[in-house]
Amino acid sequence: MKKLGHKMILASAGSGKTYALTNRFVQLLACGAPPERIVALTFTRKAAGEFFDEILNKLARAAGDAGEARRIGADIGEPQLGTADFLRMLRAMVDTMHRLSLGTLDGFFARVVRAFPLELGLGGDFEILQEHGSRLERQRVLRQLFARAGGELDDAQKEFVEAFKRATFGAEEKRLAARLDRFIDEHQNLYLDAPEAAAWGNPARIWPDGSAWLEKSGDLKGAAEVIRRWAAGESEKQRKRWDDFLAAFEAWAPGAMLPKALEYILAKAFEAWTALGEEDVELVIERKKQTLPPDIGAAVKALVRAVFAGELMRRLEMTQGIHTVLSGYEAVYHDLVRRAGKLTFADVQRLLMPESGAPKLAVGGGTEDGRLFVDWRLDAKFDHWLLDEFQDTSHGQWSVLRNLIDEAVQDPEGRRSLFYVGDVKQAIYAWRGGDPRLFREIFDHYNEVAPGMIEEGRLDKSWRSGPAIVEVVNKVFGDTAVLARLVPPVAAERWTREWRDHESAKPQLGGHVVWLHGDDDEARAASTLRLLMEIEPLERGLSAAVLVQSNDAATWLADYLRREGGLPAVAASDLHVCTDNPLTTALLALLQAAAHPGDRFAWEQVRMTPLAGVIAQWGDAGESMLTRDVLQQVHAEGFARTVETWLRRLEPMIAADDVFSRERARQLTEAAVAFDVTGSREVAEFLQFAERHVVRDAETAAVVRVMTIHKSKGLGFDVVVLPDLEGSSLSTRRRDGLAVQRAADRSVGWVLDMPPKLFHENDTVLAGNVAEAEADAAYEKLCLFYVALTRAKRAMYLITKPVGEKSVSMNFPRLLTETLGTAGGGATTMIGAWACERAFAEGDPKWFEAIKPMDESEDAVGNLIGIEVLAVGSGSVRHPARTPSGTKAGLVSGISLFGAGGSGAANFGTALHQAFAVVEWGGATAEVFAAWKAEGFGDPVIAEAHACLESPGLAEVFKSEKAAEVWRERMFEIVLDGQWITGVFDRVVLERNEAGQVIRATVYDFKTDRVGTEDIAQVLARYSGQMAIYRQAVARLTGLAEVRVRCALVLTALRRVVEVEPLGAD
Amino acid sequence: MSSPRLHVLPWNQPLVHAVVARLADGWSGAGPLDLSDTLVVVPTAQAGRRLREALAGHAANYQQAVFPPRVVMPDGLTTLGAAAGGTASRMELLLAWTETLRRADLEMLREVFPVDPPEVNFAWATRLAREFMRLQTTLSENGLRMADVTERAGENFPEAERWRQLGELEAACEAALAGHGLRDPQLVKIECARNPVPPAGVARIFVAGTPDPLPLALQMLAAHAAAGVPVEVLVSGPAGRDEEAALFDEWGRPVAAAWAGKAFSPEDFERRVRLCADPATQADVIVSCARGYTPPGGRLGVGVADPEVLPPLENGLARAGVPAFNPEGRPRRDGALHTLLSALAGLVVRDPPFAAVAALMHCPDVLAWLGGSPAKLLEALDDLHARNLPPALSVARAQAHDPALAKALDAIALLRGTLLKGTFADAVRAALTEIFKERRFDQSRVEDVHAIEAAQAWGEVLTELDAAVQRFPELAAADVWELALRALGDSQRFDEKPDGAVELQGWLELLWDDVPHLIVAGMNDGRVPEAVVGDAFLPEGLRERLGLKTNAARFARDAYLLHALAAVRSEGRGRIDLLVGKTSAAGDPLRPSRLLLQCADAGLPARVAYLFSAAEAARPNPAWRRAWKLTPRTDAEIKSLSVTSFRDYLKCPFRFYLKRGLRMEAVDPQKAELDAMDFGTLCHAALEAMGRPDSPVRDCTDAAVLRGFLLEELEGAARATFGNSLVLPLVVQLESARQRLAKAAEVQAQLRADGWVIDRTEWPFEINVGGLPVRGKIDRIDRNELTGEVRVIDYKTSDKPVNPEDAHVRSPKRAEDVETLPEFARFKADDGDQMIWVDLQLPLYLEAVAAEFGHAVACGYFNLPKAAGETGVSVWNGYNADVQAAAMRCAEGVAAAVRARRFWPPAELPPENDDFAQLFLHGAEASVDWPVEGNA
Ligand code: SF4
Repeated sequence: MKKLGHKMILASAGSGKTYALTNRFVQLLACGAPPERIVALTFTRKAAGEFFDEILNKLARAAGDAGEARRIGADIGEPQLGTADFLRMLRAMVDTMHRLSLGTLDGFFARVVRAFPLELGLGGDFEILQEHGSRLERQRVLRQLFARAGGELDDAQKEFVEAFKRATFGAEEKRLAARLDRFIDEHQNLYLDAPEAAAWGNPARIWPDGSAWLEKSGDLKGAAEVIRRWAAGESEKQRKRWDDFLAAFEAWAPGAMLPKALEYILAKAFEAWTALGEEDVELVIERKKQTLPPDIGAAVKALVRAVFAGELMRRLEMTQGIHTVLSGYEAVYHDLVRRAGKLTFADVQRLLMPESGAPKLAVGGGTEDGRLFVDWRLDAKFDHWLLDEFQDTSHGQWSVLRNLIDEAVQDPEGRRSLFYVGDVKQAIYAWRGGDPRLFREIFDHYNEVAPGMIEEGRLDKSWRSGPAIVEVVNKVFGDTAVLARLVPPVAAERWTREWRDHESAKPQLGGHVVWLHGDDDEARAASTLRLLMEIEPLERGLSAAVLVQSNDAATWLADYLRREGGLPAVAASDLHVCTDNPLTTALLALLQAAAHPGDRFAWEQVRMTPLAGVIAQWGDAGESMLTRDVLQQVHAEGFARTVETWLRRLEPMIAADDVFSRERARQLTEAAVAFDVTGSREVAEFLQFAERHVVRDAETAAVVRVMTIHKSKGLGFDVVVLPDLEGSSLSTRRRDGLAVQRAADRSVGWVLDMPPKLFHENDTVLAGNVAEAEADAAYEKLCLFYVALTRAKRAMYLITKPVGEKSVSMNFPRLLTETLGTAGGGATTMIGAWACERAFAEGDPKWFEAIKPMDESEDAVGNLIGIEVLAVGSGSVRHPARTPSGTKAGLVSGISLFGAGGSGAANFGTALHQAFAVVEWGGATAEVFAAWKAEGFGDPVIAEAHACLESPGLAEVFKSEKAAEVWRERMFEIVLDGQWITGVFDRVVLERNEAGQVIRATVYDFKTDRVGTEDIAQVLARYSGQMAIYRQAVARLTGLAEVRVRCALVLTALRRVVEVEPLGAD
Repeated sequence: MSSPRLHVLPWNQPLVHAVVARLADGWSGAGPLDLSDTLVVVPTAQAGRRLREALAGHAANYQQAVFPPRVVMPDGLTTLGAAAGGTASRMELLLAWTETLRRADLEMLREVFPVDPPEVNFAWATRLAREFMRLQTTLSENGLRMADVTERAGENFPEAERWRQLGELEAACEAALAGHGLRDPQLVKIECARNPVPPAGVARIFVAGTPDPLPLALQMLAAHAAAGVPVEVLVSGPAGRDEEAALFDEWGRPVAAAWAGKAFSPEDFERRVRLCADPATQADVIVSCARGYTPPGGRLGVGVADPEVLPPLENGLARAGVPAFNPEGRPRRDGALHTLLSALAGLVVRDPPFAAVAALMHCPDVLAWLGGSPAKLLEALDDLHARNLPPALSVARAQAHDPALAKALDAIALLRGTLLKGTFADAVRAALTEIFKERRFDQSRVEDVHAIEAAQAWGEVLTELDAAVQRFPELAAADVWELALRALGDSQRFDEKPDGAVELQGWLELLWDDVPHLIVAGMNDGRVPEAVVGDAFLPEGLRERLGLKTNAARFARDAYLLHALAAVRSEGRGRIDLLVGKTSAAGDPLRPSRLLLQCADAGLPARVAYLFSAAEAARPNPAWRRAWKLTPRTDAEIKSLSVTSFRDYLKCPFRFYLKRGLRMEAVDPQKAELDAMDFGTLCHAALEAMGRPDSPVRDCTDAAVLRGFLLEELEGAARATFGNSLVLPLVVQLESARQRLAKAAEVQAQLRADGWVIDRTEWPFEINVGGLPVRGKIDRIDRNELTGEVRVIDYKTSDKPVNPEDAHVRSPKRAEDVETLPEFARFKADDGDQMIWVDLQLPLYLEAVAAEFGHAVACGYFNLPKAAGETGVSVWNGYNADVQAAAMRCAEGVAAAVRARRFWPPAELPPENDDFAQLFLHGAEASVDWPVEGNA
């Protein structure tokens, strides 16, 4: 095939990334690559699906239309291609659909692991745990961890408690379970990245050359005394400062908040740290200069150092404690969950990471040691790699793929290729491992070896946004000087290095960008509403979104827009469909009330709903019956059917036109179906599951979508409102996590619960780490803002608090202020009928007026595809099926069912039946015995069968008559009274006349139950239905009248034959 | 020597009818249709059922009945005539494999196990054993054993050594079986096929409508044919001699080359094939069609190729009142007996954890066995849990005071004893007999019949297990339980088919269905045709080499099936509809079946454009709507108030009513540790003891002694409530309480040294406020022996220290319209600022003590927060008579409002700050239908 080089593409927002990817794919096909040898990986399954659809549609268009073929051919640099070529490619794609490696990274990894379970140390196949499954597992693990055998804490538990105390040092926690849950949420991934204790809170790792702060302090009492004496001679105010300092020092224990009195002096001391103790040092204490002679300086230094050391020691210990707590949890989790073959996608990935000891992946079918050759097991050679959204790829993911891609890139014949695309300006997934630096590193890595090996491509033309939007984006993100002022230099430099001014590919697209001021949430929400009311995007058939920074804000704003403006706003965050409406919450309360009848909350809630009426129908005992009724159904049939049953009972109480509640009802059932699969029948677990269960609203155009900026990535809207841009500094690092120092290869050097600023800024190592984290945070915040500002196609409305003259906060509004300027401030812009005071505007305020409202009648709700019903009359006959024994009636006791006799007796009975079937006529002959032996009957069966054959009471059954014929264990099929009956005769004896006609028939049915004489009437009653069927069947089969068919039960235990009279004979 | 004869039955006629006609060929209708000498091979059990039904129906046309043929599936054919004795059961084979794997020297098997498994134990071994058994079964399709693979795979087989080692393992497993006189069932099958004995009494054999029989079965049939038994192969296909030959091989298998490229192009393709957004939409489409048939049985059939469609479909049909039947049954894993047994398994550990006991007690059968009122019993159980957090059965029993609960726990302890006695099977039988000894199962009730069948299935499991365990006795009790539960769980339960039911069948069953209208859901790639991609042992390349079923063969088979299903319903004889899902239930994208993309080149672009277009969700996205408003009881009486309830009323009168009137309090069965209230109570107990008149440390100023006292009291209180054995979180919480009390001891020592004497502790009082009795208990009253001052103290154990003033009053919020608050809730502070009451606890205390201590009493909190340094007394500074008067005005206002039953309107609170959030959706006021004054 034709060679296609390697390519890296930096694609800006809206610049047709998917277009580039599909083109590459088609280009590979055009060059002769077999589709199954192309691996195309992306992050979400939705994206993968759209990608696949897009490739096929593109090929189909080109295959069906010469013009399209020319256009697409030109696009991919193969203008000679014609429809026939594209048809060939299309056919190839279609035929190999099942073998394509086109999906998510997670899916790809799972496929590899599935093919190599034993090689990767798994015990065999595994199942993937989804969100709810892993929650459930976590709870089981915690339960196991908390349970104790025999009253005493075992060693592991003692260690765990100790570790927990250390982990929460000084700030002991009274809620262990809750805190632990948080620990796991916050730190589990980090732990799995760096499971070895040596990385956690280890001073030797953090300060390889030692830390001055951790050196032993000298005589602190003495030092305090020296200071006290010296301060006594100072001014009143200053003396008090020093006394307070000393008192606080004495009272202080590491772990407590640093008291103001300590902090004050500490800060002063750090200001003059090097000189302190060496020479006279002047400090400003209480706004007055005060000179500290060297001896006093040294004493102060000693105390400060002691505090610093105390704080650091505490942080180190807490960090170690957290590690021990996590490893205690992980040990149990590993035993209980992973070893049982339940893995999360993260586990799957980790199994493949060379860092965790996995063999490298390779193709080529070789036998080189220590590699896993994927081509044989996966039935595919991977020649070409297409990686999407590469900025979100984590280092771990890359490490799994690296060897395979290495092979491709370094293929000596150049028959293989790499293509990766993404936007480092949209790297907003660092918190879940996305590592945008890889983008450039990989490029540099290969090109260093062979310059030009990977070609760099750029896509900076936006096919999404009109000129007004692009203009503003360029202003805000292209101003190097401002960025350098507002964010840490490293971050600014990283940003600027990859920045290119954008261009709109749709210069004709009218649009508008306005920046408005709003003092608080309420005011900004009101402006948002007003904007939407004026523009009426939905009425004009335009899509609209309001982007915010948190899910809570989204929920609140959506509610505001609905409540105050009646807008069809949907918080496009996850909908908690089981708990957001009265119908399903009532059903959940019902389950709770049933399983936990002491729950007065649940009970009263049930009583407030129409459920009360349903229960009342059961009479006074209704409520007390609920527990039994519900638990019985849940245990026998699961939650889905139980929920369905109750929904049916409630159906009459729901308004006929209440589509919403019925939809929620259906969704609750759907959730229950998903839960039932887990096998759990615990109501509490189901309720928890239901509370967490979320569904995304189906995407319809006719709503204003309110969502987080994070969720908006990849989407575009005609109108975007950004009313939630306030917030902390651009370089605020995440506070909930532990500080992590990683080496260039991303391995974890050390982990530390970072002490507060006063401390870390005075330690070079820690300060370095914090600066890096802040730079990363700033970069990610810029990315987030970039994503926010690039969602709009036509119009964008920014609403922020005005930035005060003296404000020093380095946040989004500030960035806007510095880049867009305040020149236009105070002027008024007319948006529809609203004269609003703007801070900045660009474009045409009347842009939307040209777009006329759509016809109301166009209904957005999809129609159910109808399927015609066939004309009545056609059809095939179906008979209800019965078996004669299915007509059994009567009661079976629990004892006989479960007792030692139960199944044993059934088996014994079956064996006895089989033993009798061996016998044609007469007694227990030698042949019969031989046959019994050969069939493998046990001695008790043989003994009993033998005894029956010998017993006079049963003699008639096996006695031979002349001209008699016998059916043994004979099956029959018959339609009787419209019912299809399948049965087996135990033994039927037929007598024939000279002419060979059947003249009499006797049906013997063996009953091996242990019955007494007194039970005979009952037995007859129980089997009368069955025998009536036999009688009819034999009559039909032999042509006899029913009266000529004799039926008899052979009661083996009693050795008696009991006549069964025809029904109605008595 | 003869060979099989292929008959192509015309496929414009339902297969089952054509087969019946063939079988009954020559039968005149006089006398029964006797086919006892005939053996018919059919693809599935359901096909066999259809055939027998059709035969019965055919005979019924002549007022006759049938002696049916022997009907077997290809797999069953291979064991026909084999002696049953000496063949290992599934369980025995599993245990033999397990034993083999546990004993294997992995060092010698490095191609199979390149790295050591995490642990060589039962769980690992059984999991792998099942995998290997599956592998053996697949290989035996074509009569192969693991040991044969290397040779059969031929040249350049990269995994030759791996398979050789697998062969060794297999041999070891066979040896293990042989040691017990047993043989591997797959081996028995293969050998049977090698030396086939025609089954006794069979005069002719038909292979009917079986497009992919096992090669092994064919080998056997060929031998029978060669031995002179006539073998006829019946397959439905297009008429016309030339074509037949090319389309099927002699066994009626679709020839891959002929079917793979065959275009599926019904004229009205786009009306036959529908794109649906998701499984629920597919279900909706079917349900709405099924409603048009009353009843659908025999007229409409549904094929479900994607199992995800089944649940919404079954639920949708049930909701629409359309009877439905799934012949595949349901696994017993979902049934009550399995749940009960799983719960019993939880008892078989030393001192079973409380959770296991609770799980068992929630089993309806156990509740019935325990007798009495299930609701009361469970309530007592939850109560015990909430109060005492017992970790295990023994502790729970010791703490249970409710007589019924105590009795139940005793019974469970006894039951546990039963479970531990004797062999596994005997023990479980005894336990179940105990539980069900009073029960009578009524064979005329469907639920009971299911229970009976489950019990029988369990009996079979026990019998099989008993036999297996005797041979492989090295099993731990937990392992046996696991095996037994799994075996029961995997067994299927079959429902009875309701009259007129629409049948929901798998793809491979459809060929035998004769309904005129067929809808097939889930026509998605990977389902139809099924495709295996990537396998740890048998990748496609190896399957090909070994002659096992390949993706290509599956494709050909399914292409044939699709054509056959459509052909029989073409030309006005019926209708077939094919539904293609766009996404799975979880939203993952699906692709249409490749079968649907088989068409002439010219049509392909249009076909692709159609099948890969976006499917609009048919589901409505309706606006939020309230199904109903809540109608709480309005008659709950509130005859007295507790001091703390004022806070509730001031926060929200309606929630006050729910809490204090309706007493709505939730139970948390998953409670794993003390909640804030429990924690406070525990600390209070120690502090109270310290201040009692008889307390030895009342006047103590030595922090160490005080600490010793407090900690001992704490220990005692904890032990009294929780016993000696604490759940782990409690250990930690107790430690936290110790720290707080230790610090409190220091503070107390100082207080005493400063002259503060504890005058009262836990001082109960009742005063009348606005006509309602108000009750409370004051934690402590201190009197300073030096100054004579008196102050009322309340202990606070929240994490952060609380300032009493902040806890009681607040300033108006920005933009808050104070006028909307009741007048009594507001007052002007000394400085003229508007203040609002939040709580009245301390003022009410002061009111209560006034009679005895006068009005010059101070008040405050004794904080025992998380941070030890912040422990101490926080006094309400600036408290004066005016404030007290305002507080009492407020208290009277609240009392009057309560008496007047003014609980409306509710406050609108943010959900995270609302204990009743689950009731109030989209606004509290809007959620409830409350009779406003005048209407009440
Ligand atoms: S995680 Fe568990 S199951 Fe997975 S490899 Fe490690 S030990 Fe095996």
